[in-house]
Amino acid sequence: MNTESMSLQDFRGLLQQLGAGAPGQDISDEERLRRAKNMFMQKLNGHRAVDLDSCLQCGMCAEACHFYEATQNEKYAPVYKFRPLRRFYRREMSPLRWFYRPFTRDITIADLKEWQHLVYDACTGCGRCDMICPMGIKISASIRVMRHGLAAAGYVPPEMRVVRNEQRDQNTLFGVGTEQLKALVDKLGTQGINIPLDREQADVMLLTTAVEVLLFPDAFAASARILNQAGADWTIRSDAFEAANVGIITGDDQTMKIAVRRIVDKAKACGIKTVLMPESGHAYQMMRWDAATEMGGPLPFETLSMPEFISAEIKAGRLNLNAQSNGASVTYHDPCRLSRKGGVMQQPRDVLAALGLDVRETPANQRENYCCGGGCGEYVLESADDLRQKAFEIKRREFEETGADAVVTGCANCRINLMIGAENSGWQTPVTSLVETVAANLAD
Amino acid sequence: MTLLEFASGPGLQWALWIFVLGVVWRLVGALFLLSRKDLSKPRQYNSVAAGFGAIISRSAPAHAFEKRILFQHVTGYAWHFALFISVLFFAPHILFFESVLGFGWPHLPNTIIMVTAIIATAFLIALLVRRATHPVQRFISNADDYISIIVVLIPLVTGILAFAHFGARYETLLAIHLLSVETMLIWFPFGKLMHAVMTMPARYQAGTAFGRRGVKA
Repeated sequence: MNTESMSLQDFRGLLQQLGAGAPGQDISDEERLRRAKNMFMQKLNGHRAVDLDSCLQCGMCAEACHFYEATQNEKYAPVYKFRPLRRFYRREMSPLRWFYRPFTRDITIADLKEWQHLVYDACTGCGRCDMICPMGIKISASIRVMRHGLAAAGYVPPEMRVVRNEQRDQNTLFGVGTEQLKALVDKLGTQGINIPLDREQADVMLLTTAVEVLLFPDAFAASARILNQAGADWTIRSDAFEAANVGIITGDDQTMKIAVRRIVDKAKACGIKTVLMPESGHAYQMMRWDAATEMGGPLPFETLSMPEFISAEIKAGRLNLNAQSNGASVTYHDPCRLSRKGGVMQQPRDVLAALGLDVRETPANQRENYCCGGGCGEYVLESADDLRQKAFEIKRREFEETGADAVVTGCANCRINLMIGAENSGWQTPVTSLVETVAANLAD
Repeated sequence: MTLLEFASGPGLQWALWIFVLGVVWRLVGALFLLSRKDLSKPRQYNSVAAGFGAIISRSAPAHAFEKRILFQHVTGYAWHFALFISVLFFAPHILFFESVLGFGWPHLPNTIIMVTAIIATAFLIALLVRRATHPVQRFISNADDYISIIVVLIPLVTGILAFAHFGARYETLLAIHLLSVETMLIWFPFGKLMHAVMTMPARYQAGTAFGRRGVKA
């Protein structure tokens, strides 16, 4: 399958233009500070308090961070990335605030400006630091609260602000909405791929992302072919297909809830039993782990990632695969939000093994895997270009140690980032997707 | 009232009260800040097993991290181990614990305690030097990080001096040793020595949070 799509080059051009369109923000410094503090107050809870009160300041987290490892810049120590939150906690919320207050500097507007770089450019929220902390502190959760505070204060970087506003106000991303999806479905229809668009009732609702529609239509087509061969009773809704959620990425709850509710409401209306997430790590985390809590109650459907779905279908004997026997080798890149933050680690390996591929592990893998370097929307930020490329070199080294013929991953964001990194450094090993790899081996 | 009488009488009592009340206040205060209930459907897991599992598993770094944090990991363990032996198995300490708790336990020979106390002191000084020189640790450190090391270092040094009857009259050395322990007890709830109490709840909550997602913390 080779559906015509936007080239990586054109997509990179699109990203470079993004920031220029960012609307100005007329917020006074006092108001920004007030909003940031108010958000910190809202988001600090018992779990974060235990975390903030437990830190030994040992600095081991730096040793888990790809940005610190790549630059040896101590500012990128994860513990430092939530320093203003810790100061706020100590001054305003800690049980010993009366003691800490005279010794703890209040947060300032200069802090917020400085931390914009530290929590958007220099953190992908991958949570590798969470795995090294000897106290078990969820460092990435506190950094996420930092993003919330900065978002409330109007410090979302311009590129992210543009896409956030687009999703919130227009229900499109990168200009992809209902019409673009319908056009792709029509095109795939002419290639013989049947896509049951906009059915009123179905068991399974597939989601996709603007990035798939624009850049990776083959991944979307692959998902459809897999569902068709598995005989699933499925649909995709042109009015609720976008799985990506810029709200969760930027730390903006309003946008996050608008985007989640759109899908949840549609799934309820269509009697959906399973919402099937496309290859997007943060979207899976959102729908599988955060949505119920954010919506205020359990969801009436289950949420599955593609690797979980495919692995189950293979086990149930509903997918007919041509297992390869040519000894081709692959290495699987674990998207952080699918693996250590999502619990989906064995299934993609089972699927690749079922295809007869020689699956090789990078030295750090599964829950300890290195981030692609551009997760959590970081790949759209021009200001992070250098950092990202340096972090990519770590991934490249890891991949090269496996000697595998190709890199397979389960997240389009990881895939773009790895492809851009490879292109920049002239690295030739192909980076592909799990669903496309499976679809290429479906026996018709 | 002599210095020793103060140090072993009202000084000790006040220090213990501040220690106990401070620890309880800070622990309860943090634990009782409300958290929103996670409403996502968990994978199959046992939350108690996951919580206690993390208390154990976080005692050693995961494989991918071992080499990068080897020095801190080894010195951290060596220092704590040597400290606990010195504090818990020195005959005069056991007499003190017996007077407070009503029961005692066997002690180790003084020479062994002397060796462990010197090892603990040496490792703690090494960790202090590292904090002051390692780029990341120096950068992230604040007063608490240094105070917490020094208030533990002084009881060790004064304890060794008192044992060796070196530098002053024994009664004076003993009084200073006791006062330094009391200073440590008073500082404990205010600074990061609290980690001794927070380790288990912090690891437990990590264990359950990862466990519900089917990930080993």
